[in-house]
Amino acid sequence: MTSGQIEVPSKGGDGESALSCQELKKSFQGVAAVTGATFDVPKGMITALIGPNGAGKTTVVNILSGMMKSDSGAMQIGKVDVTNWESYKIARLGLMRTFQLSRELGGLTVLENLLVAPKHQAGESLLNIFFRPGRAKREELENTKRALEILRTYGLFDLRDNRASELSGGQKKLLEIARAVMAQPQVLLLDEPMAGVNPALIERIGGYILDLKNQGVTVLMVEHNLNVVEKICDHVIVLAEGRTLATGRLSDLRANPEVVQAYLGEVINASTTR
Amino acid sequence: MSAFWYYVFTLVFFLFDYFILAMGLNIQYGETGILNFAYIGFVALGAYVTGASSMPSSAGTGQQYIMGWGVPFPFSLLLGGVAASALAVIVALISLRRLRTDYLAVVLISFSLVFYDITNNYVPLFNGADGLYNVPEPLAGIFKLTTNSFVPFFAVVTGLIALVMWWAMSRITSSPLGRTFRAIRDDDGVAAALGKGVFRYKLTSMLIGSFYAGIGGGLIMQFGGSFNTTSWLPAETFVVFAVIIVGGVGNNIGLLVGSLLVETLLIHLPAFLPEIPGHPGLIQYIDTMVVGVLLMVMLWFRPQGVVPERVRKTPMSLLQGLKSDRALNTDVPAMSVVGDGAGVIEEGGRP
Repeated sequence: MTSGQIEVPSKGGDGESALSCQELKKSFQGVAAVTGATFDVPKGMITALIGPNGAGKTTVVNILSGMMKSDSGAMQIGKVDVTNWESYKIARLGLMRTFQLSRELGGLTVLENLLVAPKHQAGESLLNIFFRPGRAKREELENTKRALEILRTYGLFDLRDNRASELSGGQKKLLEIARAVMAQPQVLLLDEPMAGVNPALIERIGGYILDLKNQGVTVLMVEHNLNVVEKICDHVIVLAEGRTLATGRLSDLRANPEVVQAYLGEVINASTTR
Repeated sequence: MSAFWYYVFTLVFFLFDYFILAMGLNIQYGETGILNFAYIGFVALGAYVTGASSMPSSAGTGQQYIMGWGVPFPFSLLLGGVAASALAVIVALISLRRLRTDYLAVVLISFSLVFYDITNNYVPLFNGADGLYNVPEPLAGIFKLTTNSFVPFFAVVTGLIALVMWWAMSRITSSPLGRTFRAIRDDDGVAAALGKGVFRYKLTSMLIGSFYAGIGGGLIMQFGGSFNTTSWLPAETFVVFAVIIVGGVGNNIGLLVGSLLVETLLIHLPAFLPEIPGHPGLIQYIDTMVVGVLLMVMLWFRPQGVVPERVRKTPMSLLQGLKSDRALNTDVPAMSVVGDGAGVIEEGGRP
């Protein structure tokens, strides 16, 4: 725990963490981006990672997903120490992510973006392609049916044969979440899923995230929209200047002067006086 | 056989051979995004190994070379492909794991130059700058072929080999493996975040592409009966790049079209045209310039090539019983969180 943290339980109902990190630090050419991120993400819950711009939220997400190596510190998925593992190994443990700026696989169709997601596909082996084509074909058929169902759920079914690069910004956000869902994640990191998205789509994405929670997926989302955080997040982590400032429920954090000073400020006042 | 048909079948041979070479480079660059500027080096190794393994021992031949096992066709050809793949493993282990596309390209072109200099100067390997010659014509003894009849025969053999290799490549590119290659091409960071071991897949792509390079090179050796360092100047790699860029990156049919337009019509056809009086060799210089101009024009006006990469549509059989989005709008979940906009933090931490 870093100084200034509110003493509230940081773990889920059964006290188990799906993801945790201790004293993560990361600098870029002498500029400290993360200076001591320490928190637990409760299993089966939706946790928000909030903080002012430049607090190090995306850097932390990049480190947690293995896309960036930390200078020091440790992290675990469940009970497995995955400190500085490569991202594909972390993904194989069931941690999937989306990106702040959508990174769709633009040359692939919307459907193919989902089909690429399942791990260890039989058809990804040269031996299976030429000597066990039936097995690869059966699995591909099952994956395609599941992908079409997911696309239907996410309202992208009619766009299935479009190249992903042709989608709008909001559709790309949906596609990224759908692609992560296709990989059947245990833990899902969402980096600003509502950014640049119209209010109607915010409603839908929030609904999808709640659905994922109901299916047992643990969600950690970087989010600036406090209405969304208040409505769907069970737990909040506040980062400021690269370190964990506080953790707890948003309603509790509103009373924390450090949090208010560092991030919430007039937003809280404005929304509570309405 | 008349000279005309001799030329035609020579062009047919190069059409199919460069189709094979283009398929190999396409899976590396067009499908996986590996900018392999050393490609011609793998072609050359395939040619040398095919030739040296099919020739008898070098003693008394007036040449110096390794192997000299007298391996019959097509096993000598396969050895050429396997040797190029083996070299790809070494190159991939050195360069693919840590280098991004642009740095990788520089390292690979350097590798190509080093390999070229070693082959050119270390005579005991493949007879130095003179290269290998008098390589036996494959199957000529069995089918009692003359020098004239060998050309159409081997052009047809090359066509059959190209057909088999096209079938195999189509299986790969239309499989989940091909899709993963394309995912890595589009964004290897995302592919890794989806659990794909990017290095392993790039290595696989290098292996497959280099095998095709080795086979293509081996066929050139078997067709011409000789091969030396003037046949594979490092810049030759860019001719194969021109084939796939003009034809259509990521499309096997486009590669055949590119091979026809660039290699057959622009590179080899002018070699059979009569010289311009007073300007010997001018036509061949011009055709190289034309390839360069064509490449620039294509990249500027039609970067997707003559036959673009096709969109892989969902099989209709899988769509039966599934409704469109419009019929399902009422199923979309909602969380009812959007208020009047208060609480949305903008730049600088203000609502």
